[in-house]
Amino acid sequence: MRRAGITRSGLRAGCAAAALAFTCGFAHAVDVELSATRIEASYTSDNNVTRSSGADALRDRILGLRVSKGLMMPVSTRTRAVFQGFAGAEKFQTYTGLSHNFIGGQGDIQFRSSAEFAAATYGAFFRTQVEYYDSDLRDGYRYAYGLTVLKPITDRMQFFGAIQQNISDGKSVVFDTQSTSLRGNLDWSPGRSDTLYLGAEYRRGDIVSSGTQSLARVNTADALVQDDAFTDKGYSAYRFQANTGLMTLGYNHAFAERHSLDISWRYARSKPLHPSGYGSASDVRYTVSQLSLAYLMRF
Amino acid sequence: MRPFGVLDDPRRRILIQALAAGFFSTPWGVAAQSLFGAAPGRLPSGQSIYRTSGRVLVNSQLATVATRIAPGDTVETSPDGELVFVLAEEAFILRGGSRVVIEKPPANSPLKTALRLATGKLLSVFGRGRPTRIATATATIGVRGTGVYVESDPAQTYLCTCYGVADISATNDPLSTETVSATHHDKPLYILAKGKTGASIRRAPFINHTDQELMLIETLVGRTPPFVFPMDDYNAPRRDYP
Repeated sequence: MRRAGITRSGLRAGCAAAALAFTCGFAHAVDVELSATRIEASYTSDNNVTRSSGADALRDRILGLRVSKGLMMPVSTRTRAVFQGFAGAEKFQTYTGLSHNFIGGQGDIQFRSSAEFAAATYGAFFRTQVEYYDSDLRDGYRYAYGLTVLKPITDRMQFFGAIQQNISDGKSVVFDTQSTSLRGNLDWSPGRSDTLYLGAEYRRGDIVSSGTQSLARVNTADALVQDDAFTDKGYSAYRFQANTGLMTLGYNHAFAERHSLDISWRYARSKPLHPSGYGSASDVRYTVSQLSLAYLMRF
Repeated sequence: MRPFGVLDDPRRRILIQALAAGFFSTPWGVAAQSLFGAAPGRLPSGQSIYRTSGRVLVNSQLATVATRIAPGDTVETSPDGELVFVLAEEAFILRGGSRVVIEKPPANSPLKTALRLATGKLLSVFGRGRPTRIATATATIGVRGTGVYVESDPAQTYLCTCYGVADISATNDPLSTETVSATHHDKPLYILAKGKTGASIRRAPFINHTDQELMLIETLVGRTPPFVFPMDDYNAPRRDYP
């Protein structure tokens, strides 16, 4: 079954690496401007990598690395195309089956009505990436497309909003998911070097939760499989539809011209859309708290 | 299009009404604007200062948003200070630890503005057809309809011609001159106090200013910069929106 609607065979390799290839090879051929290369190294503590509840919620620490490079191509005075290629890895300290590498690309079309300070920038984007896990079932492609708006509110505050569709096409049907999200982010810069940001997101659609078998999980799940990232625990992965709320609170401190340190806390709460009514409802709800420290540099 | 003098932006109208009512003179108003900022618009005539932070002196007197700045004045900022201000059709961000003298151009001079940046960092935008001279410890810069960012210390001057045209000459080396015509930060330069003869002007990296700041100060004088999209690469790196 391919619920994602986009088959893997139809979007093989090319999609994921297209932006990277385009970025590197095409830049000098047309009137484009390459953006700086950005490197992001992060350390995250996650209290629930299984996205589960109770004793099934497992804590882990994650080292992350992401490299990206982009280019901008003017389409008209007020419209431009932005392409970004990126690659990286996340290394889980304990549950190594969740460790993975990824490579992908994103294309944006952006419109800004004028050079006025307060003018909003509207965008439409498409992003695709391929992920290779140390386990097998999660391997696959991720896609997202949507609309964005970026607007300065004052000379110290900026709003970013997006509505997007997320599609995941995994090796197992349990990891074939779709969700729609609406998110907003407010940046507040009390000084030149400091930015506090607050983000909120509402996501509706499929989620995957891993845990021991229970009546509530089995009856609520649209699909389930023995999870090969938690074989020693005997966990299964369940896919079900849920409402998920996420909140992010972060602080970015710039030092020198091209370096910054970012610390953020992210909290998510998820609740099934169609609980079965059997078993304990708390088995199919979860909360996640992530604390992340990242070093970013540009060159 | 609305006739000249009619406010077409409700936020600007609110801002001016608030100014007229003295809102920003109240401690709460000043604190709120200082903390959360304001939607910038063209500054009302009679107002020079858009924003101050830290300790800012105009002619050795502590400056407030009500302080007027005019040719002949000397403006200084403490190391943690910053001043965003307007002078006729020109607008500036003076960073911390700076001292600038706004000179009165001679009566017969074509210059509209003359600045002497003894030390510190200054982002400036100038109106078209308003030739301006900026003097630093190591350089003299003639600008025309330009946005420029200058950092001055006794050993060297950093100059980014953000857009427009700048004629640069090294103070101690008459053979080192250069004209930069830029559209978007194309050719930042260092002008050295003690460079080799004829080679006192060198290429420099892009540092310490952003397109958003240029947009802000152009807005204060009712203009916009020549580019529509600000470049993110001029800001400190930050994580993508989650």
